[in-house]
Amino acid sequence: MRTVIHPRPSPIVAAMYTLRDMDVDVIVVHGPAGCSFMASRPLEDADIRVVTSAMRDSDLIFGASDQLVDTLRQVEERFHPSTVAVIGTCASMIIGEDMGSSIRKAGIDANVFPVDVHACMGDNTRGAIKALEAGRDAGIIDPEECDRQISLMKAATRLEKNVGMASKDYIRPATSPTKMHVCRRIMDVLSSGGRVAVVMDAKKELAYRFADMFEAVDRARGRLGGETLFVANLDGSKGLPRIRGYCSEILSDLGSKGVSIDEIVGGLDEYSVVGEEMRSRIDAFSPDLTIVLGICHAIPGISADDILITDQPRQLANYLNMGCEWAVGEISSHTMVMGAHSIVPMETADTLREML
Amino acid sequence: MRRIAVYGKGGIGKSTTVGNVSAAMAESGLRVMQIGCDPKADSTRAVAGRAIPTVLDKIRDDPDAELGDLVHEGRGGVLCVECGGPRPGRGCAGRGIIAAFEKLEELDAIGTYHPDVILYDVLGDVVCGGFAMPIRNGYARDVFVVTSGEMMSLYAASNIAGAVADMRNEGYARLGGLIQNSRGVRDEDSLVDRAASEMGVPVIMRLPRDPSVQRCEEAVTTVVSGEPDSPMASNYRELAKRILSASEDVEGGMRLERFL
Repeated sequence: MRTVIHPRPSPIVAAMYTLRDMDVDVIVVHGPAGCSFMASRPLEDADIRVVTSAMRDSDLIFGASDQLVDTLRQVEERFHPSTVAVIGTCASMIIGEDMGSSIRKAGIDANVFPVDVHACMGDNTRGAIKALEAGRDAGIIDPEECDRQISLMKAATRLEKNVGMASKDYIRPATSPTKMHVCRRIMDVLSSGGRVAVVMDAKKELAYRFADMFEAVDRARGRLGGETLFVANLDGSKGLPRIRGYCSEILSDLGSKGVSIDEIVGGLDEYSVVGEEMRSRIDAFSPDLTIVLGICHAIPGISADDILITDQPRQLANYLNMGCEWAVGEISSHTMVMGAHSIVPMETADTLREML
Repeated sequence: MRRIAVYGKGGIGKSTTVGNVSAAMAESGLRVMQIGCDPKADSTRAVAGRAIPTVLDKIRDDPDAELGDLVHEGRGGVLCVECGGPRPGRGCAGRGIIAAFEKLEELDAIGTYHPDVILYDVLGDVVCGGFAMPIRNGYARDVFVVTSGEMMSLYAASNIAGAVADMRNEGYARLGGLIQNSRGVRDEDSLVDRAASEMGVPVIMRLPRDPSVQRCEEAVTTVVSGEPDSPMASNYRELAKRILSASEDVEGGMRLERFL
């Protein structure tokens, strides 16, 4: 029996996002024009050029190596990139396209490297790992960082299989409850002088949205009283340069609003491994209320009493099914944060600010 | 219309056999369409008297290609089609077979030419889904396998029989029997007989080795039209008769509806 029924993230898309993390200028998708296009558009917003070799049926039959050469030459002419990644798709890989040979034949003046992926590889993180290895072989990331990233990917895969969206064969996506009840509870605890812990364990760029909650709760504490503890995985000394940049942009945005994070635990790519440490910081604070943002299930011991805020409709369903009635969704956050350079307002945070 | 697929190991003489069968059937007054399913595109060479352009080359270069660009009349009015395909080491020949068949259907090759018999001449073993197309999805009703008594040839025949059996429950093709193309192997007849009985099918014909086959091949013609009075031409005429009597005449389009 297959243990996968609901559609999962694709290894091709995971490879594309990982290439973005490595600051590749152009991604050439060697496949049908429509392959992964929903994922390509937000990448364009994040200033990565994504193009396709636009394979057609005759390319499946005769091979598309010449078309790929052509696409690469057009990429050079139009974008003058310094790094280009060519990624495989089901179509090109099933027919055994030799992307390396087309890259050599195109002979363009950029660091061009192939990423051998297709969507039938199982876990989406396998695509990310393939991209990391290809980036390492092309000299755009160093081997130690590559190994570090790969071990984080594996940890993320385990987490999703154990308690995340890959833990069940089918999860029906949930729609989020409105945010009033959650905000009223935060206000009640603060008004009565209680202690509120806000813990963000965000996956990379999603921090641009979840971090908004710190500002809203900080403002609420200023008006209503109480005490707060802010914990976030915003360590700017961890990971690839692009991801470090997210940390400094978010921290400086918060700083300009007079908000500071009390305890920084891990980097934005360490969301799957910082849970234990975050748990101990929370416990040391003995909060009356805990608000968890991002990959909430990475933090051990979350309880039905905690406010959990996720961007994923299927993850929200998981939390609600676990009996976490204070779980809410910030659905569609991902498209909003692509290309962001400052904090993107959150519905829950906006609601709280309005209610103050 | 009869829908017949002929399979067999590469180099065993399928195309020569199919070309001669087409010629013999045409001679008897039947409208025959021979469809070569091999990227080498040499199935119809003898019966067409020339190398014809392939369907896949045509539709790649001109998506609006018409039926007349894909179907070429050969000797005795045999309608010759070559699917064609990629150069060795590139692309996907199996996908090519699928695309070529889809194009012929889309352009209503059957409704236009009304053949009495379609003969598919299919490359070697059943190597992938594309090459299995004639025996599934209703293209072929009856499958025959050309084999000699050589071990590898019989092995390929057995694989093909297995593929047909696997797809049997889909209700399309059935294995009609083996055609022995003799190579002079010791005890060849009994080797082929034994293989046939293991597959549960008859050996419908034993073709002897005959120098006329080579001569006609060099002259780019079939034995039936190149040396019509030779004993070998008679053999091919007899084979054509036996294939006709061992296959089923079913109305309809290029593809049969499920036929359980």
